[in-house]
Amino acid sequence: MAKKKIVAQADLARIETVIAEYQNERWALLPLLERIQQEFGFIPPSSIGLIAKGLRLFPAQVQGVITFYAQLYTTPRGKNIVRVCRGTACHVRGGKTILKLVKRHLGIQEGEITPDFEYSLETVACIGCCALAPNMVINRNIYGRMNPKKVALIFGQHGRQ
Amino acid sequence: MVEEKATVSTNGQHTILVCRGSGCPGSDEILRRLEEKVTQNGLPVEVKPTGCHGFCQAGPTVIVEPEDVFYCHVSVDDIDEIIQKHLCAHEVVNRLLYIDPVTGQAVPHYSDINFYKKQERVVLRNCGHINPERIDDYLARGGYLSLRKVLFQMTPGQVIEEIKKAGLRGRGGAGFPTAVKWELCRNAPGSPKYMICNADEGDPGAFMDRCILEADPHSVLEGLIIAAYAIGASGGYVYCRAEKPLAIERLKIALRQVKEHGLTGDNILGSGFSLQLDLREGAGAFVCGEETALMMSIEGRRGMPRPRPPFPAQSGLDGKPTIINNVKTLATVPIIIDRGADWYAGIGTEKSKGTVVFALTGKIANSGLVEVPMGTPLSKVIFDIGGGIPRGKRFKAVQTGGPSGGCIPARFMDSPVDYESLTKLGSIMGSGGMVVMDDATCMVDIARFFLNFTQAESCGKCVPCRLGTRQMLEILTRITEGKGRESDIETLLNIAKTVKECSLCGLGQTCPNPVLTTLAYFRDEYEAHIKEKKCPAAVCDALMISPCQHTCPVGINIPKYVAHIAAGEYLEAVETIRERNPFPAICGRICHHPCEGKCRRGELDEPVAIRGLKRFAADWYFEHIGELPEPEPFPQTHSQKVAVVGAGPCGLSCAYFLAQMGYPATVFEALPVGGGMLSVAIPDFRLPREVIQREIDYIAKRGVEIRYSTPIDVNFTVEGLRKNGFEAVFIAAGAQRSQRIGIPGELEDLEGFYYGLRFLRDVKVGKSVRIGRRVAVVGGGNVALDSSRTALRLGADEVSIFYRRSREEMPVTEVEYNEALAEGVQVNFLVSPTRIVSDKWKIAGLQCTHMRLGEPDDSGRRRPVPVSGSEFFADADTVIAAVGQAPDLSFLPPDSALERTRWERLVVDDNRLATNVPGVFAGGDFVFGPGMVVEAIAAGRRGAIAIDKYLKGDTSRVEIYDLKPGIIEEVISREEEETWEPQFRPEISRLPVEERKQSFKETELAFSEERARQEAKRCLRCDLEK
Repeated sequence: MAKKKIVAQADLARIETVIAEYQNERWALLPLLERIQQEFGFIPPSSIGLIAKGLRLFPAQVQGVITFYAQLYTTPRGKNIVRVCRGTACHVRGGKTILKLVKRHLGIQEGEITPDFEYSLETVACIGCCALAPNMVINRNIYGRMNPKKVALIFGQHGRQ
Repeated sequence: MVEEKATVSTNGQHTILVCRGSGCPGSDEILRRLEEKVTQNGLPVEVKPTGCHGFCQAGPTVIVEPEDVFYCHVSVDDIDEIIQKHLCAHEVVNRLLYIDPVTGQAVPHYSDINFYKKQERVVLRNCGHINPERIDDYLARGGYLSLRKVLFQMTPGQVIEEIKKAGLRGRGGAGFPTAVKWELCRNAPGSPKYMICNADEGDPGAFMDRCILEADPHSVLEGLIIAAYAIGASGGYVYCRAEKPLAIERLKIALRQVKEHGLTGDNILGSGFSLQLDLREGAGAFVCGEETALMMSIEGRRGMPRPRPPFPAQSGLDGKPTIINNVKTLATVPIIIDRGADWYAGIGTEKSKGTVVFALTGKIANSGLVEVPMGTPLSKVIFDIGGGIPRGKRFKAVQTGGPSGGCIPARFMDSPVDYESLTKLGSIMGSGGMVVMDDATCMVDIARFFLNFTQAESCGKCVPCRLGTRQMLEILTRITEGKGRESDIETLLNIAKTVKECSLCGLGQTCPNPVLTTLAYFRDEYEAHIKEKKCPAAVCDALMISPCQHTCPVGINIPKYVAHIAAGEYLEAVETIRERNPFPAICGRICHHPCEGKCRRGELDEPVAIRGLKRFAADWYFEHIGELPEPEPFPQTHSQKVAVVGAGPCGLSCAYFLAQMGYPATVFEALPVGGGMLSVAIPDFRLPREVIQREIDYIAKRGVEIRYSTPIDVNFTVEGLRKNGFEAVFIAAGAQRSQRIGIPGELEDLEGFYYGLRFLRDVKVGKSVRIGRRVAVVGGGNVALDSSRTALRLGADEVSIFYRRSREEMPVTEVEYNEALAEGVQVNFLVSPTRIVSDKWKIAGLQCTHMRLGEPDDSGRRRPVPVSGSEFFADADTVIAAVGQAPDLSFLPPDSALERTRWERLVVDDNRLATNVPGVFAGGDFVFGPGMVVEAIAAGRRGAIAIDKYLKGDTSRVEIYDLKPGIIEEVISREEEETWEPQFRPEISRLPVEERKQSFKETELAFSEERARQEAKRCLRCDLEK
């Protein structure tokens, strides 16, 4: 617990430097939030006040933008982000079953993190690789033409199940 | 067999193009390995990474130039072979070539592949041919020349005029004329003006923009700079969604390069025109694809749409005049400037000019990016370019326009693709997603899927959209879970209308489209979900235990009996089948097995051989019948007697299930044998008579009384049965009247002329039937095939089938068709006889005409139409007419109270099979016309349930659900290892063709015990997923 706090403090200092870079840019809020998330994996709620101050906005405005966009997170995510595509082509080719199986393999629901912070499970509306449907993405690797056996094998490789 | 046309250039420089689109995962490694090997071997080869070639189905792809050889599904391990064989030994690597799904032939050359050959690539002109990360490649193909032309030779007004003349319409979906928008912005007061490229392509199932940005980002930037010049913008943005990281990466590189080359920034190329261009990333909000929301997002706010007017062209970003164009619109601009408005306006239709890019996906053989001229028929895109539907399934519908679009059913497949035609069908062009669906796609589920998406993406500003989508989603979810109410359809229509009319932006205005179109075109599927709790496509999980069981007309617990076979418990397997079907041995032989079409294993490699397994279990039972306990009659728990008319599969099933429910059931049969059509029409080589007899014996042993040679007729009527103490009657008299072809010369007394049914019956009962040497069979169904094969066995030299449609429309199984062909039956498709020619009361031949497939009918089957002037004469000395059968109602006295339709059929309630006379029920072929045997059995069971309800005074509907088993079935452990490799099903053995043609012996052989158990283990046990 104590360790976590120290990290959080160091983060805030770093976040302040990042904010400074964007202070004079026009319409900087979204790019800044994306940058913070890129660096820390999520946007620490404690940084919202700093961001608002830096960009001369109300904290509610910052909070409003964060909650509006699905890809902005205020909680940490797993080390590996597993995203199962729920696009039309994937749906038509059985993406629903793939999601069900991945949930079973990881033991979590979508939007959740495994207790060891190893995996986050998310769904995505479409990754645009419809020809390979059904698809799954782990971090930046796309796994196409998924089937139940592949799910078992992939999570076997990733040291689970 | 590979037709070797490819010649490999032996001298000079080769270029290897490696696709590095998102759709080709693993290509980075392929590229690395190729580069490494080329350097190692010191080959004069340039390895060039490119963007997407569009044919993502075949990915990862590698093209070797100059010979233009296309390798698909390349993996890192194939690189050595390509290097050694192609580049060193100058031979094509045959095993990596593309195989045409229709012809089965390998196609070595890129340009010969139908997928590419039939396209017209304007927007995608550079995709796959250049390295998207090198501006020099783009410049070498004439890149940025249009920009120079515009900057130095044209005024902004002339640019707008040129685009107007070309007739370019916005490719984002709505199709607003681009030039009109530009002009509006140019003339609007205010400064600075902004030019935005909308690359926030978010429709699920659409990836055109992503591919263009990944493969040819400069064409988009060039278009954007030209547009900025035309409207007088000094600021520009490309707004790209974050979910497309590779596109963003390439855009960043391209933006750096244009800056370095002085193509953006101050005083571009010394022309005095300046443009500051920047990239903005979206953060996962679909609604930001809407232009006013997109501008909000760029301004760093919540991306919520606002009412228009004012239009962005007047007041947009920061309140200044702004133009937002789609990626494809902008990528088209440079080529219009280059080749001229007249050239562009020459492509497409009168109102929709140019080409359209589709992302063709779903249940289609060739998925990928397709560009065709506007006005191309859908069928050309789906069948000629897309290669049709894989795995022999049927094309059901195509979805265009993503969540804003609609589902267009197969019967409109000849509609041209343009803005107006799609709108007329209730869909939209949209951004260009085209998802193809086959009969394993549930339309209610699809509507629910899209609503789920739009509900989540609705920004919440307009109440009708925010609440309406939620309500519609709840209703649709309820329907897919089998909890639908009768009023739901009306409610859906009402909400859809309100949401459409009362929402501000495109999202709300169009999101009811998927619901409205599926309701308009597939209302029967909604009704099946609501009333029958059935999902015809076997998709909706909540309604079923497993897709096979759900699809089976009688609902056999297939996974259970297959598991019993795997475990060696054959008696239990047969008992499981008999819970729902008293004819395991018969259905194990001749069932058309719709279950296998929905088997999930089939998505992996091949469906489980369910029919073959059923036969194995049934045959095992009858072989061991002596060792097994004698079947006991079902205990009688009711006293009301029920009569069944007709001892065919429908009547016997009804009696069997009535007996199972405890009723004394008596079957009245006109003939001295039971089995109905099975006994009189299906030849012994498909269904031996002993098999039928054993199943009937079993039914009799379970307590069903069968009275043979007891016809129901004028003397012994249905009403008479009621008076004789039968409290309910089920009529299952079959469809035994042969239909006439209806052509001149069709006279029954002609020597050598038969109706198929009569012919088969006479042969089966052992009458001597004279058959000539040249037999012509008219028709394309089971009776036609059976008659042909019977004629061959009777010694005909030549048997030809004349069928007016094509193979696809033939209602026979693959097995039957292939067997007939192997035995030597000739099939003439698209031929229809017009006259039977005879000489002195002897058949001389058939006058025929060729047909072609015309417009699709309501079911999506194309109607055959005669080709004028194509008449010809076919010699024949015997003609067998087998064009269908109809029920024969002649046994009912003319004054019978039973109500009939105009087409001489009984009027029967579909659900309870009740006639207008209380206590009289009817079903099977007798009511619905000739169908499949398992459907007749299902009707018999339905009749039994309806009669039970009637006798108990219960007036509710018959509801037949797949009840979930109360206890979880014991899991049968799978012994084999899980592998990536597909395991195919074993071939079912058959008698050799020569032996077959000589006798009426059964042609298909049963699985051996070992094979059956092996095969049963391939079952994925979908039933255990619950």
